[in-house]
Amino acid sequence: MRVLNFTVNGTPRTVHLEEGRVMLASVLRDSLGLTGTKVGCGTGQCGSCTVVMDGKAVTSCTVPAEKAEGTSVLTIESLAEGGVLHPIQQAFVEAGAIQCGFCTPGIVMRLYALFTQNPDADDETIMNALDKHLCRCTGYETIVKAAHLAQEKLRAAR
Amino acid sequence: MTLQHVGKNVPRVDAVRKATGEAVFVADIVLPRMLHAKVLRAGVPHAKIRSIDTSKASAMPGVKKVVTGQGCGMLFGTCLWDQPPLAVDKVRHAGEPVAVVLAETENQAAAALKEIAVDYEKIPFVLDPVEAAAPGAPLIHEKNGSYRRVEYVVHPIPGSNVFHHYKLRKGNEQEGFAKADVTVEDEFEFPLSSQAPLEPHGAICRFGADGDLEIWASNQAPFVLRDVLADMFGISASKIRVHIPYLGGGFGGKSDVSIEPMVAYAASFVPGYAVKLVLTRGEVISGALIGRGMKGRMRIGAKLDGTFTALKAEMYFADGAYGDTGWPVDTVAGHNCTGPYEFPNAIVDVYGVYTNSPSVGAYRGYGHPEGQFMSSRLIDMLARKLDMTPAEIMRKNFLREGRKNALGQTIKKSNGDLFGCLDVVEKALAEEPLPPNDERYIYGKGIASMMKSPKMAANAASCCHVQVNADGSAFVNLAGIEMGQGVHTVFAQMAAEALELPFEKVRVYSDVDTQFSPWEWQTVASMQTYRGGRAIQDACRALVAKAKETAAKVWNCASGMIVYKEGVCVHPNTGATLSLGTLARGFMAANGLTVGEPLAATGWYRVPEITEPDPETGMGNAAGSWTFGAQGCALRVDRRTGEVKILHFASAFDVGRAVNPAAARGQITGGVVQGMGAALMEKILFTDEGVAKNVTFPAYKIPRLHDAPEKQTVVLLETPNEEGPWSAKPMAEHPIVAVAPTILNALRDATGVEFTALPVTPERILEALKTRKEDK
Repeated sequence: MRVLNFTVNGTPRTVHLEEGRVMLASVLRDSLGLTGTKVGCGTGQCGSCTVVMDGKAVTSCTVPAEKAEGTSVLTIESLAEGGVLHPIQQAFVEAGAIQCGFCTPGIVMRLYALFTQNPDADDETIMNALDKHLCRCTGYETIVKAAHLAQEKLRAAR
Repeated sequence: MTLQHVGKNVPRVDAVRKATGEAVFVADIVLPRMLHAKVLRAGVPHAKIRSIDTSKASAMPGVKKVVTGQGCGMLFGTCLWDQPPLAVDKVRHAGEPVAVVLAETENQAAAALKEIAVDYEKIPFVLDPVEAAAPGAPLIHEKNGSYRRVEYVVHPIPGSNVFHHYKLRKGNEQEGFAKADVTVEDEFEFPLSSQAPLEPHGAICRFGADGDLEIWASNQAPFVLRDVLADMFGISASKIRVHIPYLGGGFGGKSDVSIEPMVAYAASFVPGYAVKLVLTRGEVISGALIGRGMKGRMRIGAKLDGTFTALKAEMYFADGAYGDTGWPVDTVAGHNCTGPYEFPNAIVDVYGVYTNSPSVGAYRGYGHPEGQFMSSRLIDMLARKLDMTPAEIMRKNFLREGRKNALGQTIKKSNGDLFGCLDVVEKALAEEPLPPNDERYIYGKGIASMMKSPKMAANAASCCHVQVNADGSAFVNLAGIEMGQGVHTVFAQMAAEALELPFEKVRVYSDVDTQFSPWEWQTVASMQTYRGGRAIQDACRALVAKAKETAAKVWNCASGMIVYKEGVCVHPNTGATLSLGTLARGFMAANGLTVGEPLAATGWYRVPEITEPDPETGMGNAAGSWTFGAQGCALRVDRRTGEVKILHFASAFDVGRAVNPAAARGQITGGVVQGMGAALMEKILFTDEGVAKNVTFPAYKIPRLHDAPEKQTVVLLETPNEEGPWSAKPMAEHPIVAVAPTILNALRDATGVEFTALPVTPERILEALKTRKEDK
């Protein structure tokens, strides 16, 4: 049986992989119980399954589990550790950017990767990041607002 | 009294748990002794099943059971019982389930699927609803007309693929058109499309050794689901318990029942095991309920001053393999195809047609976008013919106080202000004049008005249970499903208002469970704020009355003299007070002697006096509420690529009262973008062999951020009315209804081309622009 060793939300993990194709999303959700990562399409197109892998946003439904070997992965569960919302999460709540909430964790993780790497990302960069995600509820207006609010909050906290 | 909670932008009660990923959706649920299901789908659109060999698959590692429909005599439905949980002797669309593998893991189930051998005898298939309705078309249901049905509402034509014919006969066709100075007429197409909620459908079913069935499902209609399954299995509804976690969007695609009968049927072969199925995106688009699929023709007659004299329409719906979820959409499309206008004569025929495609069900707007697409485009054409503006024609014919709609119902002033909505939209568009056309871009503007009246069972009701805790907090229990629209937040606002409590002291139960939740018809038709809100008011009134009765016992006075204010009963003479918390379990004196009832109350609401339409005229009191609105847009077309950019989209709806204006705006901005997808991008395509082919993202393209309008203006009008709680009316589906005609009217303005089929893709625009040049 194949074994995957990697770090998830700061904790080293060892996961036994079943036969056949196993994706990172399935490891996180089914093996580790981190169900905050959502699977909406299985083809990396909707962005709901986005997590941060070695600092980069990846769609975990298209990353074969073996590719996660030795990496450090952050999921939505890492952001509000201790029960305090991360400024990006707080921004989504305040901006009214959440309706059904299925796309939310993925978008939050995408912005987490972006703002960690590039806190002063310009509008175009932010829009390009958000364009990798699908939301069927909001029409995106409040999501854009939340992204800008998140950036402001993160800047203020610097 | 000024409102404390209703009308305020309270943050959503579910926002934090959704922002953290804690909110539980059906795919997140893991039960003990759980098997994973994978479904073998037909892959051919129309065929007899000669044989199915599951022996190899059954022997695969981890496989517990392979279930087929062989020998299954069950049919399920709510008004038309025409569908088995799994294909039995024939398949009627390529996405139809033929076998279900139950295995320890998904991968094992998927591997075993490949080992199932099905021998099909192919039959000619038909996808087009007009062709399917014609004589000589391949017959999809030999038993059409003899299936069990509710005869008053479903009207099949036996020997054909037409399983439902709705006819509206208001006035007289010949007389109406004889009075017309001009007529406009065209053919229209609204293709099959996917509601495409981000969360795929899922269900977990488990039969106990005692025969009880427990279900967890991403479903908008837990009580309908329960009753349908009770009927299908021939067991008591009280033996079935349905849990509904959060829904990751529904848009109608999760209403009624879809995959649950199949999962429950499979689970019935492995009692004691939970069976879990979560669809892939491909299965959502090809194997669950989809939407729309209308081909139609409409003619409007008018006087020279723009006054309508008659409307004649025919609509054919490609309702797919099974009809129970399609027929009411068809009926509603007929009721409402006139749009928000008075036609003294309206003759409409709607045909629900079996086709070899996935079954059509509810999709945001429910028949209204289909019919009003035609009337709104024709009004635009008529305006040019009469040298009037479309707005002038609309104002001439708007429903208003004293006017009669297509069903013969008389509109009241309190039903809403179409004139106000249109004024606002025209003004918003006028504020930003279009730039002149240039080498690269051409610009255009368009408007359309709309109305929506919910279709529901005549006995549809919401029930509410309110209880007070000893600390003075209250919980409110209804079975309205939170699928993103914000219903739990709005419920909490209304309950806090009715009980005059701080918002934080009111809790709306979030998990709907048919074992504990009060009965609710289903979360459809944008009715939760209105109907659920009235049920909350009713329950809260009863609760306050109970509190007063207990206080009256304590003070030994008449309960009628007691004043209730902000969570406290007040004695008007002595000024003594008793809080709700003090009265929660009855009032207990220092020595323990207790008087009065525990503080709990129930309430309910049903839209009054709804009837099904008369089978002959199609008229009657079938609509219990109306919401009116208008939309307009300014757009630009790239001459080189054919791409459309919406520069400004303006919407105005008379919502009666916006309980949460920010949430209402969110419904509208989202509905506009979803409607834009229908107008410009979305269509389920089929291969020459009749198999749905663009079933994944991005092959099935829905709008992304870069597709969205550059700017949206949203205005909410609030005409007081006697219907809704604090006047609040349905408004959630409405933003999608007029979007397609608004955009196509603007495209006509920009390009001079009358588009009448959706979606208007860049390729079609380029093609049309070429033709236009040749014309010159």
